[in-house]
Amino acid sequence: MKREIYAYRCRKCGHLHYPYRMVCAKCGENEHNEFDPEPLPKAGTLVTFTELYALPGDFEVPTLGLGIVELENGIRITGQLQIDEPASGMKVIGEVEVVRSEEYEKYYGMVFREA
Amino acid sequence: MRDVYAIGIGITSFTRLEFPLSEIAAYPVMMALKDAGIKEIDHLYVANMGGGRVNHQTGLASAVVDTLSLTPAGADVIENGPASGGSAIKQGFLAVASGVHDVVAVTGAERMREVNNLEVTEFVATLTHPLAEYIYGVTLPSLAGMFTRAYMDKYGVTSRHLAMVAVKNQNNALLNEFAHIQQAITVEGILDSPEALTNNPYIADPLRFFDCCPVSDGGASVILATREVAEKTGRPLVRLSGIGQATDTHCVHERDEPTDLLAVRRAAAQSFEMAGVGPSDVGVAELHDAFTILEIVESEEVGFFKKGEGHLALERGETQIGGKIPINPSGGLKGRGHPVGATGVAQAYEIVHQLRGEAGKRQVADPKIGFTCNFGGFGNNVVCLTFAREN
Repeated sequence: MKREIYAYRCRKCGHLHYPYRMVCAKCGENEHNEFDPEPLPKAGTLVTFTELYALPGDFEVPTLGLGIVELENGIRITGQLQIDEPASGMKVIGEVEVVRSEEYEKYYGMVFREA
Repeated sequence: MRDVYAIGIGITSFTRLEFPLSEIAAYPVMMALKDAGIKEIDHLYVANMGGGRVNHQTGLASAVVDTLSLTPAGADVIENGPASGGSAIKQGFLAVASGVHDVVAVTGAERMREVNNLEVTEFVATLTHPLAEYIYGVTLPSLAGMFTRAYMDKYGVTSRHLAMVAVKNQNNALLNEFAHIQQAITVEGILDSPEALTNNPYIADPLRFFDCCPVSDGGASVILATREVAEKTGRPLVRLSGIGQATDTHCVHERDEPTDLLAVRRAAAQSFEMAGVGPSDVGVAELHDAFTILEIVESEEVGFFKKGEGHLALERGETQIGGKIPINPSGGLKGRGHPVGATGVAQAYEIVHQLRGEAGKRQVADPKIGFTCNFGGFGNNVVCLTFAREN
């Protein structure tokens, strides 16, 4: 099964949201579940980023790259970076991978690499 | 609406405290009641974020009101992340202003050092969006790091400006006996010296160790009351003249302009409007410098300086104790410490102290209007308060 991260399109006005919300942020007319999910594009531009040295407990790596990416449809997403020397404005491409593992649980999210 | 006055204040040392959370919350109430010269209250508001998770204590307000022997007064816990303190003061204000209560105590407390660093980082990270931020390992310092980089790219803020905030606030903290950090630092020492990478390591690049507030235990309290009660205390009259609160998107990436803190701008504007004053009237301010960048950006968003020029005012020394608009004379979160639930109340403590002219070595010259900005989440829930000295 191909894993995707979904954005949610309002059935009333067509506004696209990521992440999911219960009422449309644009028209306010939409109610719970009146959204059509659509997979987020993978290509985008790095808006800003950080290399995190003080990690939460579940991460057994020395540092963690994190960034905000503006995808080609204009939606922004927070994700992990696998980039040696990131720079604001860099073109990146994402893949859905395991981003966090707790004891019996794996969480999937977007991991970006230089395009 | 009735006028509301801050008639008593109290605080604990901000440090590692080996007392139960309920005592950390109760002690400053005792001090504040003594300060006001009263023994009874109508209601108690307790600001706390992590009692249930970190200290295995829920229903904190019931414990605090009882240990103070203030039963049967009503008591509530207010949890609004790091803005819990500001929110609790707002609730106290509404209760007195509306005529429901005449005298209320507000206390904020946190005991974060009961657990280790990993657990405390994890606890604070629960503020982030569970599916779109938290799972990636996003923490508050990482959001601040990304925000700082965007700000540097757009407005030319440098690591040197950030270090100047750290130096200013830690120097101010040296004048505050209750402040957590009692250490003089210099820009050279934490940025330029050969040891800088060791004594000031990166936390969330470009933010370094001295750009981040410490993890602290502590409590602070303020008693709010009607003018009639306030006049009987014989203390200087300090009115809580404006309250403002605004929210923003839960996910930081959803904000239209990544360098804006709209909730700060809106909460400050509301607070000033209610108080009938403007940012240029403010004589002393306590801003939420959980990260050094936040003091600079909040000083712009609340209206002290133009957007993108806060770091220039900092360079000119305008935010120092002797400057045009002294910011964080207490040491701020950076120097005084940041027990999350207590911070908003500790900010109000400092402003009342300053407006009364009782702040000793760190006293700002004769301020008439004081202001606080208490910043919850990464700017998704902000409470701003305006205070005015009346005699």
